[in-house]
Amino acid sequence: MATLDQKSPNVLLQSLCCRITGKSEAEVAHQFQYAVRVIGSNYAPTIERDEFLVSEKIKKELLKQRREADAALFSELHRKLQTQSVLKHRWSVLYLLLSLSEDPRKPSSRVGNYGALFAQALPRDAHSTPFYCTRPQSLALGYSERGAALSASVGTSGISSLGVYTLNGPTPTPQSLLAGQPPQSAAGGGQSLGSRLAWTLPVSCSPSTLALPNARPLGPPAPSTRVVHPRKDGEVSETALVRDILYVFQGIDGKFIKMSGPDNCYKIDSKVVLCKSLRDTSSRLAELGWLHNKVRKYTDARSLDRAFGLVGQSFCASLHQELKEYYRLLSVLHSQLQVEDDQGMNVCTEGSLTLRRLLVWMYDPKVRLKTLAALVDFCQGRKGGELASAVHSYGKTGDPQMRALVHHILSLVSHPILNFLYRWIYDGELEDTYHEFFVASDPNVKTDRLWHDKYSLRKSMIPTFITMDQARKVLLIGKSINFLHQVCHDRTPPGKITAASKSADTPKDAAELLSDLEGAFQEKIDAAYFDTSKYLLDVLNRNYLLLEHLQAMRRYLLLGQGDFIRHLMDLLKPELARPATTLYQHNLTGILETAVRATNAQFDNAEILKRLDVRLLEVSPGDTGWDVFSLDYHVDGPIATVFTRECMGHYLRVFNFLWRAKRMEYTLTDIWKGQMCNAKLLKTMPELSGVLHQCHILASEMVHFIHQMQYYITFEVLECSWDELWNKVQQAQDLDHIIAAHDVFLDTIISRCLLDSNSRSLLNQLRAIFDQIIEFQSAQDSLYRSALEELTLRLQYEEKKRQRDEEGQWAVTEEQEAEEKRRIQEFQDTIPKMCSQLRILTHFYQVAARFTSQTGHARGFTATRPSHDSLCFFQSIVQQFLVLLMTSSDESLRFLSFRLDFNEHYRFVFQSAGQHRN
Amino acid sequence: MASAANTNLNAVRETMDVLLEISRLLNTGLDMESLSICVRLCEQGINPEALSAVIKELRKASESLKASENCTN
Repeated sequence: MATLDQKSPNVLLQSLCCRITGKSEAEVAHQFQYAVRVIGSNYAPTIERDEFLVSEKIKKELLKQRREADAALFSELHRKLQTQSVLKHRWSVLYLLLSLSEDPRKPSSRVGNYGALFAQALPRDAHSTPFYCTRPQSLALGYSERGAALSASVGTSGISSLGVYTLNGPTPTPQSLLAGQPPQSAAGGGQSLGSRLAWTLPVSCSPSTLALPNARPLGPPAPSTRVVHPRKDGEVSETALVRDILYVFQGIDGKFIKMSGPDNCYKIDSKVVLCKSLRDTSSRLAELGWLHNKVRKYTDARSLDRAFGLVGQSFCASLHQELKEYYRLLSVLHSQLQVEDDQGMNVCTEGSLTLRRLLVWMYDPKVRLKTLAALVDFCQGRKGGELASAVHSYGKTGDPQMRALVHHILSLVSHPILNFLYRWIYDGELEDTYHEFFVASDPNVKTDRLWHDKYSLRKSMIPTFITMDQARKVLLIGKSINFLHQVCHDRTPPGKITAASKSADTPKDAAELLSDLEGAFQEKIDAAYFDTSKYLLDVLNRNYLLLEHLQAMRRYLLLGQGDFIRHLMDLLKPELARPATTLYQHNLTGILETAVRATNAQFDNAEILKRLDVRLLEVSPGDTGWDVFSLDYHVDGPIATVFTRECMGHYLRVFNFLWRAKRMEYTLTDIWKGQMCNAKLLKTMPELSGVLHQCHILASEMVHFIHQMQYYITFEVLECSWDELWNKVQQAQDLDHIIAAHDVFLDTIISRCLLDSNSRSLLNQLRAIFDQIIEFQSAQDSLYRSALEELTLRLQYEEKKRQRDEEGQWAVTEEQEAEEKRRIQEFQDTIPKMCSQLRILTHFYQVAARFTSQTGHARGFTATRPSHDSLCFFQSIVQQFLVLLMTSSDESLRFLSFRLDFNEHYRFVFQSAGQHRN
Repeated sequence: MASAANTNLNAVRETMDVLLEISRLLNTGLDMESLSICVRLCEQGINPEALSAVIKELRKASESLKASENCTN
């Protein structure tokens, strides 16, 4: 049965067309296409799907026609139909029949009017602008819409001028467009087909109502110029002008209208006799030709230029597309002209081409061409992302038509950029042969500097629709992928890193992404950014122990591991006391290993311990081992990206500072030990008690100072910064955050440890204090040595005296007593020598000079000189240091100064020193 | 199976007869073949409104073509 075999609607429609027109399939092709479109446009019926209502309508219709008998008959038939179950859409069939029904008593209104039909075509076009629709829904659709409008205009007017198309076939493309496929439709065929045909339908359904009223206002003036006025001699006919204009539209010189070189515009030959209005109109129309030439010149010049890049090429392609649409319009006009020629001038003058009509029809194309020409002007000399920015800036207009045009061009132009972008953020590959993308890569950079230097943003190439933040993220994503591949040698396929599948990112959705930048695009970038960064951090932490290395830096280079450092210092002390030139690295490395083995450091990761090493700084003459010794930590591979060479340099400086401070503490401990041991022994030499007392005071002052310094360094510098760093590292989202946090950490330490250039004077002062401590140690050592020597000699002398006494001889002879006196004298003479030694060392300091100018004579007093001297000297340096601290901008340094001088001891000394000076 | 097909065929034929009668009543000007095509299209869910518009348009077109042919002849 016929109703059951499912032939496709198209086949059915075709046979219907043949049936109704009574012609072969080939002849009805156009009617068929028209039918397909109309049907396709109305998938959703506007009427209610109620069989009862339809049947009631039919009855009413029959009653209206006073055919009560027929109405009854229909009821009967309808009832019969209802008993059958063959039809599923009874209402539909009934509705069809109803709408086709005609009152037999009225004269048939079926006979169409060819002229009216024909005339209808053009005014309709005139209103809705033949090629570029003005309807709001067309905006989103761009090309497909325009293509549809074109085919619709050909479709409606085409019924009349079919012969022309099939015979001359000036534009084969419209016919292929008519075949019913949405040609370049990006947004899904069915919908656009529906929407665009929806508005062609009313016109084609009721041609008689629309056509005539619309044709009237346009029609009369044009023919009147031609028909009413008898032609003057030599006056150019309008048809000839129209023909000329059509050539000019394509940038070809016409017979009368020619390109005038000096004025750079199309001009009508001044010799041609022509009424003013026609002249005006045609020169206004000729502007199109000029605009066309401009755009054409640009595309011709650029489209073969390979260096113009992909973005430029796609810009040219989009311009070409626009031009093609424009040519299509011209060819329709041409064919219209052809029809008129074929049919002779007197047939259907209503629809003929006139300049005025052209003026109206070409209004929209002109606006478009103007936009294009302005774009071309603006984009001159730009390429890549810059070009896209330029196009994008033109999209910010209030004119919806222009915006749609620019938007469409932009979507084509940005297509390659988005292509680059997706390749970059998903594969990490940069396929940017023409340097158009906003990520630049420097091929000269080696892999060790890959993260820092290899990739950069080309600021000028960032399209304006991509924010700086997004661009940075994009850069980071690709960089992370490359870093994983090249530095970490991690070969995980990119698909596993980012959850977002690539299939979702075919650049087809370029236009949508641009229109919806806040939403999907941002989300996509964010997701890729998040996944890639997280993966990278995971790899660094898991495979390359980034955090462990960070902790190792803290423990070894920043002296966090106290037992290890102390033990190392114990072991190294005899070595480092020697001149620097006699040190050998391998000896020191051996000691280092011993220290590691003996302390808690041994439980550390072997991976970390094997990186720990000794480094000897450059030796300058007179250096001891203390000055050149340094711990080192070898970094390579991925973690070297965080611990760069500069960072390691910073670490080295900090280590040296801390090591020095630590050594001071160590030295002071020794001093104190010495004092404790010798205090009892030297009680027998009362002349030394003053000196010793001074020594003790000075030592405890130094101990206080160094303790406070150590407290400051440990708690206010290292621990605080470390805690900050650790928090930041834990929260870091990408490697850049970690690097930044680490840099901040190092900077803070450097500046707080007085190692930066701002606190150079402070550091110098501190160094002087440190030197003073060393100096004091040696002074005290020599003091003790000579004192102990003297002590033993005196003991020996007493012993001898006692022995002689026992033997019954004279306890002392004159000679022996003289010798003893001489020796004591000598001992006391060595004391000023030490004193002068110290003076030479401290000579450069202004305060010391004050003391050297004084001369001490009292013998008992000379012994106290060295320590008193150095005490005052120490105090004055400390004073200067405190003054510098007080004026420092760093709050914690001011607190340190407060702690150092809690009981205002130094202020008092300073004041008394000042009074003394005056 | 054959009888089922047969009864089905009968039912269809009857339906078509009824429809043709209605069509005649309403003076639609459709012959049996056109009607059957139209019914088939409707059964496939095509909007009858559009279909009727197409048919009217086709008629107009063919008539105007005939008219113009007469004219030129």
